[in-house]
Amino acid sequence: MPAFPLPRRALLAAAAALPLLPRTAGAQGIQHGGRLTVAADSEPPNLNPAIIASNGVFFVASKVIEPLAEASYDGSDGLAPRLATGWTAAADGRSITFALRPGVAWHDGQKFTAADVAFSALEVWKKHQNLGRAVFRDLEAVQTPDAHTAVFRFAVPTPAQLIRNALPALTAVLPKHLYADTDIMKNPANRKLVGTGPFRFAETRPGEFTRLVRNAEYWQQDRPYLNEIVYRVLPDRAAAANALEAGEIQLAAFSAVPLADLDRIAKVPGLKIYSNGYEALTYQLVVEINHRRKELADVRVRRAVAHAIDRDFVVRTIFRGYATTSQGPVPKSDRVFHAPDLAGYGFNPARANALLDEAGYPRGSDGVRFRLRLLPAPFFNETRQFGDYLRQALAVVGIDATIVSNDTPAHIKAVYTDHDFDITVATPVYRGDPAISTTILFQSGLPAGVPFSNQYGYVNPEVDSLIKQAAATIDDAERVRLYRAFQKLVVDDVALINVAEFSFITVARDTVANVSNNPRWAVSNWADTGFTG
Amino acid sequence: MRRAGRLLARRLFGALPVLGLVAIGGFLLLEAAPGDAVDAYLAGIGGGDAAQVAALRAEWGLDGGPLPRLAAYLGALLRLDLGWSTAFERPVLAVVLERLPNTLLLMGMATLLALSLGSLLGIVCGARPGSPRDRALSLAAIAIYAMPGFWLGLVLIVGFSVRLRWLPSGGIETVASGLAGWDRAADIARHLVLPVASLGLVYMALYLRLMRDGMAELWRQDFVRAARARGMAGPRLVLRHVARNALLPVVTMLGLQSAAMLGGSVVIESVFAIPGLGRLAAEAVARRDTPLLLGVMLLSAVVVILVNLAVDLAYALLDPRVGSGTGG
Amino acid sequence: MRVLRRILASGEGFSGLAMLAVLLAVALAAPLLAPGDPLAIAGDPLLPPLQDMAHPLGTDRLGRDVLAALLHGARTTLLVAIGAAAAALGIGITVGTVAGFLGGWVDEVLMRIAEAFQTVPAFLLTLALISVTGPRVTTIVLGIAIGAWMQPARITRAEILSLRERDFVAAARVIGMRPLEIAFREVLPNALTPVVSLAAVVVAAAVLIEAALSFLGFGDPNRVTWGSMIAEGRTVLRRAPYLSIIPGIALVLTVLAVHLAGRGVAHALRSRRVVA
Repeated sequence: MPAFPLPRRALLAAAAALPLLPRTAGAQGIQHGGRLTVAADSEPPNLNPAIIASNGVFFVASKVIEPLAEASYDGSDGLAPRLATGWTAAADGRSITFALRPGVAWHDGQKFTAADVAFSALEVWKKHQNLGRAVFRDLEAVQTPDAHTAVFRFAVPTPAQLIRNALPALTAVLPKHLYADTDIMKNPANRKLVGTGPFRFAETRPGEFTRLVRNAEYWQQDRPYLNEIVYRVLPDRAAAANALEAGEIQLAAFSAVPLADLDRIAKVPGLKIYSNGYEALTYQLVVEINHRRKELADVRVRRAVAHAIDRDFVVRTIFRGYATTSQGPVPKSDRVFHAPDLAGYGFNPARANALLDEAGYPRGSDGVRFRLRLLPAPFFNETRQFGDYLRQALAVVGIDATIVSNDTPAHIKAVYTDHDFDITVATPVYRGDPAISTTILFQSGLPAGVPFSNQYGYVNPEVDSLIKQAAATIDDAERVRLYRAFQKLVVDDVALINVAEFSFITVARDTVANVSNNPRWAVSNWADTGFTG
Repeated sequence: MRRAGRLLARRLFGALPVLGLVAIGGFLLLEAAPGDAVDAYLAGIGGGDAAQVAALRAEWGLDGGPLPRLAAYLGALLRLDLGWSTAFERPVLAVVLERLPNTLLLMGMATLLALSLGSLLGIVCGARPGSPRDRALSLAAIAIYAMPGFWLGLVLIVGFSVRLRWLPSGGIETVASGLAGWDRAADIARHLVLPVASLGLVYMALYLRLMRDGMAELWRQDFVRAARARGMAGPRLVLRHVARNALLPVVTMLGLQSAAMLGGSVVIESVFAIPGLGRLAAEAVARRDTPLLLGVMLLSAVVVILVNLAVDLAYALLDPRVGSGTGG
Repeated sequence: MRVLRRILASGEGFSGLAMLAVLLAVALAAPLLAPGDPLAIAGDPLLPPLQDMAHPLGTDRLGRDVLAALLHGARTTLLVAIGAAAAALGIGITVGTVAGFLGGWVDEVLMRIAEAFQTVPAFLLTLALISVTGPRVTTIVLGIAIGAWMQPARITRAEILSLRERDFVAAARVIGMRPLEIAFREVLPNALTPVVSLAAVVVAAAVLIEAALSFLGFGDPNRVTWGSMIAEGRTVLRRAPYLSIIPGIALVLTVLAVHLAGRGVAHALRSRRVVA
């Protein structure tokens, strides 16, 4: 807070706050009106969430374009209805019927109907979406018996559980009247979004900001509270904390404030830290292993590496406590699929040394058993820091790792196309169901050049057959059983080393209400977010 | 005037091979980088399958060899077509021109600050070389020069934006403020104070040095001694004879520094979240957007060439052998 | 020797060289003063200076000793700076000599290339080069040199041009030396002095460019440099300012020392030329 209270400054602050003054008071002390300015670190040119299911896009687009359902802390199946009000699956797994919300209008005034859903599913999610192309691969047809019913028909039995889990992230609905018979990838509405959400797209200035304004005709009465949301582009890591403290922005999500700075920020009056609201967006800190490398092909060596890592230290020091240790590929945050009985690999350098000796890699005269190239992904500050830590941890057990630092495209190419690495540090995302983007990390036979997939040379026919079997199983309980067996297998094999699961931190002014009130809050619609007093 | 016109035409024509070299060199350099625009894009969206990856490469024209693509790029360039930016999904020219004014403003103001303050302090130092004042000022200037620009910027933000709240912490203007005319200009000026200071103060030391050393040298020259002997002294001697002549190398430096300052703005624009060419170039490299990087390089080369041309013209005006003839 | 004495005679030169000597000694003795890997995790993270005498300057975010990093950082920082200056001068002098001595189309082509390099912001070039090669100490040195060889080349060329019509060159031609041999063995040594005084500028700039590269995430993660320490410390600038201030002071002192020494050298060389 300011050191010298100057009258001039107070004047300036008051002038700056003027356009933010809320108009009328509403329920729960939240008032209608006001502009919420938030920090954004990237600005994707294509903002269409039906094509690009990524958090960078959702952060902005989820306020404008809505999915069929959103994740929820207390709803049944962990979902809250959005454009769909209900869903029932046929017993044979061949169809799911969605009841759609009546009385919803697109931002350009046209009516929202089942035709929009059918078009989005068949023409966009199935054909163009990065995640939907796999999940909706067997979607054969969408029938629309009336304007507010959509029946999804699948060519093969498809687990309803998977489709339900995919609803929040994979089912953003586009207006058919703007997209039909156009080149969907190049449609101007990918930039100037048109949706049914609580906010309309207003303008964007590349490198500066994107602005959304209130949709007065939103289907949920009396929402949204906010008049405007402005995403301010702040590329430097130190910028968000400074802008928050200076009062220029009111909210920074996705850990835009560095974790190392949180202890200090927590003491700043007027700022509040939220460590929840990301439960459905769990990132996993993993060590990817190149199984083609002679030493690493030996499971004893892989186990030794896993034993060399002090997961508690990583969580405590690198994540400042804002993470959880992890042993397997399904995070603890998913209480349905997570296998709680995995033994895993505790921190045990002595055991690691013994395993390496046993595998036939004694220490040389310089104390080194063998050398590895370690490629930390450059995506997060924490991945780089964990790379620094891992190098030290491996040195303790006699493995000399050289860090090869690449920028993003070079890293992607080296690991997922050229397989030019020994071990890496990576951060795959867990998206609510193992079938969406997790089993692909273990399944063999994928062509080179597919990022975030098994390019590690890991082959286990038993794992492959489990994955295949689970994909065709429609019984919920049986699916869970199969995926738990799958977790046990890949952890025994040390296909990858899961170190920690982490999500993000939101820092906001304490006048902002209804922050982090669902498991995907940062990428949900913010209809009930507003200013108090 | 006609001479200046001919100089202009000759220079611009002579710059063409240089621009060609920049385009070819830049293209081949980025071409050699591991990973391409599709890799960068896929990392941003969290992955995709093999068919999608291949389709994207075909659509962005990345599936051919580097040489046919270079030929295509140069062909388009001859028609003044800078190509398509894959990172922004817009024509390169539009993206680049949008950012140019911000960078020119930042560089121009920073140069002005560095040049004026540096020359002024240089004159103060050079008026009495070796005096305690000279030593203290020179030392302070070097100390500032030795600070990394990003660090100076961060310290200024903490001091003036966060603690004192006098100035905004970043951006080129208040977002979506609705200001216009003079109010908007004043708003932009307030946003520019800290970045201009961070960029300009670092280069100030260079001009201070040049001015001071030039003057120190000139005190020993015959014509200055003669002027002194004629009884000219004090500020008039310093300004009329010594400082004016010492300005020549300063002006030369201005031309040389224009390219360097553009490089320095990469970092300053990141720290202060200013949408300018420097940050754009760094983004273009990170996203393997070859046409965009080349667009920035070519545009900045044109800017540098124009600045140097202006410097040459200024030089002709300042040079005593061309000017009033006090020298020699 | 006379030159050295003259450098030492000037106050600036003496203090600059003295500081550099201390720095060099620290850099050479770093493995003795702080044995082991300076990147090893040695204690609790974010320990402030002067609190625990095992870590007199405190520890960083992972618990690495700041003093050890500072001492070892001197090595890499000086290595990068001196390496970059040597490479830049090496390329510049070679190009300048060849261009100046051979003249004609060779000169034209080389100078056009130098001009092309000068119109592109050097830092941008360095950045692009490092993203191609990956950040390692050698490529960082090369990257910095690529952006700094043009001025030495121009100055060398100008000097060579003014020398190549002199008598001793004609004499060398008469005794049948080949042109490039004459250029490098006879002419170049006489043209070196103004070029060498540029070295100080390049060394100072290299230290700062390395810091800026680290800031943008292009530092060599296997080595400590002062630049990477400052860049790493900036995210905790408010909470642990010492993490960026300590290496910052080292950086300022180094640049200052190089600058002062450079001025001493330039001064001494200038007076020698006047005497000669």
